[in-house]
Amino acid sequence: MNKSVNRVKTIAKKEVVEFVRDWRTIVAIIIIPILMFPVLFIVFPILLESEAAELDAKNVTIEIQYNQYPEEFTRLFNQTSTSLLLVNTTFNHSLSEPLEDLNRIRNMELDAILRLNYSDEIWFYSIIHLSTSESSTEAKTRIIGVLNYFESNITAQRIADGGLDVNSTLDPLRWDGDVGRADVATDGEQAGLILSLFIPLVLAIWTFSSAIQPSIDMTAGERERGTLEALLGLPCTRNELLMGKWLGVATITSIGVLLQIVGLLFAIGYLASSDFIGIPDLSVTAIILIILSIMLFAVMVVALELALAMRSHSVKEAGSILGPAIILIIFPALFTQVINLDGIESFWFGIPVINILLALRELLLDRVITEHIVIWMVSSVIYATLAAYYAAKQFKREDIVTTLS
Amino acid sequence: MSRSSTLLKVSNVRKNFAEVVALDGVTFEIKSGEVVGLVGSNGAGKTTLLRLMSGVYRPSAGTVTLGDDTPVHLMRDSLGVVPESTGLYSRLTAWENIRYHSRLYGVKDKIAWKRTLKFAQSLDMEENLSRYTKGFSRGMRQKTALLRALAHGPSVLLLDEPTAGLDITSARTVRSLVNQIKQEGGTVVYSTHQLFEAQQVCDRIIIIHNGVVKANGSPSELINTTGSDSLEDAYVALTQEKARMRYEDGKTESTITRFWHRLFRPKTPYSLNSGVDSDE
Repeated sequence: MNKSVNRVKTIAKKEVVEFVRDWRTIVAIIIIPILMFPVLFIVFPILLESEAAELDAKNVTIEIQYNQYPEEFTRLFNQTSTSLLLVNTTFNHSLSEPLEDLNRIRNMELDAILRLNYSDEIWFYSIIHLSTSESSTEAKTRIIGVLNYFESNITAQRIADGGLDVNSTLDPLRWDGDVGRADVATDGEQAGLILSLFIPLVLAIWTFSSAIQPSIDMTAGERERGTLEALLGLPCTRNELLMGKWLGVATITSIGVLLQIVGLLFAIGYLASSDFIGIPDLSVTAIILIILSIMLFAVMVVALELALAMRSHSVKEAGSILGPAIILIIFPALFTQVINLDGIESFWFGIPVINILLALRELLLDRVITEHIVIWMVSSVIYATLAAYYAAKQFKREDIVTTLS
Repeated sequence: MSRSSTLLKVSNVRKNFAEVVALDGVTFEIKSGEVVGLVGSNGAGKTTLLRLMSGVYRPSAGTVTLGDDTPVHLMRDSLGVVPESTGLYSRLTAWENIRYHSRLYGVKDKIAWKRTLKFAQSLDMEENLSRYTKGFSRGMRQKTALLRALAHGPSVLLLDEPTAGLDITSARTVRSLVNQIKQEGGTVVYSTHQLFEAQQVCDRIIIIHNGVVKANGSPSELINTTGSDSLEDAYVALTQEKARMRYEDGKTESTITRFWHRLFRPKTPYSLNSGVDSDE
């Protein structure tokens, strides 16, 4: 027994050491996971912000064609970097038809044209613009801002002229007091809800995807490089070999998943105010069950990937099988996000992949429901055992020694 | 174990891969302290036989036993194997490769290091033990694989074409090491298709052809039995049968394979019987 444990540890240690010595692995398993979400949530918004500030400062040219001109428009547009061209005209066609103005906009002679036709107490308008041009879109946004302000003023004026109170007429239904105070969920429960929206998703997808490369390298890769034959001639059993390799892949995958979650939490914490996401209220039982569910999921996924990779005759073949297989995780993961947890039917906790994802969602909300736990635990143990049995079967095949080379 | 006692016994071994018969009725014994050559053309069944002897494959029929009739797969601690591909991990140093295997054999690092150093001197490899094997030449890889196979002190060393692809000097060094092991009373099974090498290194030669043992004896015995002038002539005389794949039921191809081949037979412009001229 002790000998066997030592062999498994030796195999796992060698797999991790060998894997870590490849710089591509460091990039794939450590750098990318830790940087992915911070780049997405911090660098990307900063980039967007600077682009928006640049657009705000941009000088745009707007022509206003009108039959009656509201004088306050000049004051409102002057608050931004806008050049105005005023054209007094009459309209005998639909305002949305660009007609002779089409080329003026397309050639960027003007950024946008506002057409205003006052008739029977109503201001009819249209904005001729080019949606594929950022300057034109910005000009349109500025026009809409001015028009909204103008419309609010007219509405308020007309309500006042009718002898009504503007505030109570426009806002007859109001929340009283602090909205946040009325929610009886604790901050910890709210934090759990936010985490439950992405933690299961990230865990499932990243566990599967980050296990692909090491699984292939340690099975089909070894087979292709001819190192497997030397290993099979050693006194260790095939099950010890599988266990060692499983432990190696699981270690590498766990590090990747952990780093990605750290990166994700850091990004959210940085981006939002400090109380945007707090520490969820989780009981010790829930924490233990979360760890157990992830472990069961990892046993199943890694064993399955090792088995599929071992079945393949080459690295290329293994990649072409395991790459698309991620769909088997993505679809259930996305599907699970929309399942309503209140009054959920128990059978959902027996479906592979979905059961663990739902269990994680429930546990992050600190909902420890015995019936659900028994179902997902028993079904997950069965699935993990089946996956491990399948992997063991693949590892015991005689033809795994043959290489393409 | 005394020098003349039987160490490895292959009894009436048959090995099938689906319907393909790779080895059939193979029987021989290897005594302690002997260097035995497995000689045969490519595809004759040498590697399959070595894999059976190393416990990687199990026989479809018959037995491969070590010592007191214990199946060889239960005695893998007593074997040292150098496969044809050498099987080194390029991201580990030579010593790390050796240590990895010796740990799996349950040998302490100190003992493995001592044995490695002893043989590394013979192979002129001491300087390379701390280097990654990634940049190693074929010869250095082969030498490292040999050191790895010897580090745990095996009773039998199984070498699959250990000099294939090596330059003259490296091949000579490997042969010298085998001789050194022989001098120290070690037992070696040496697979090769180089007759001069087998003659130089081995006490006894087993010729395998089409998965069957065609001859088993010392080089001089083989020459005398066939009435040939040289070992090469003796080998040719013993392996005149055309090399082919053997099938369980006597067919040349399985039904599915035949169907598949018929469906996707590659098109050639001319048949083998017709000359190019006949088409013009």
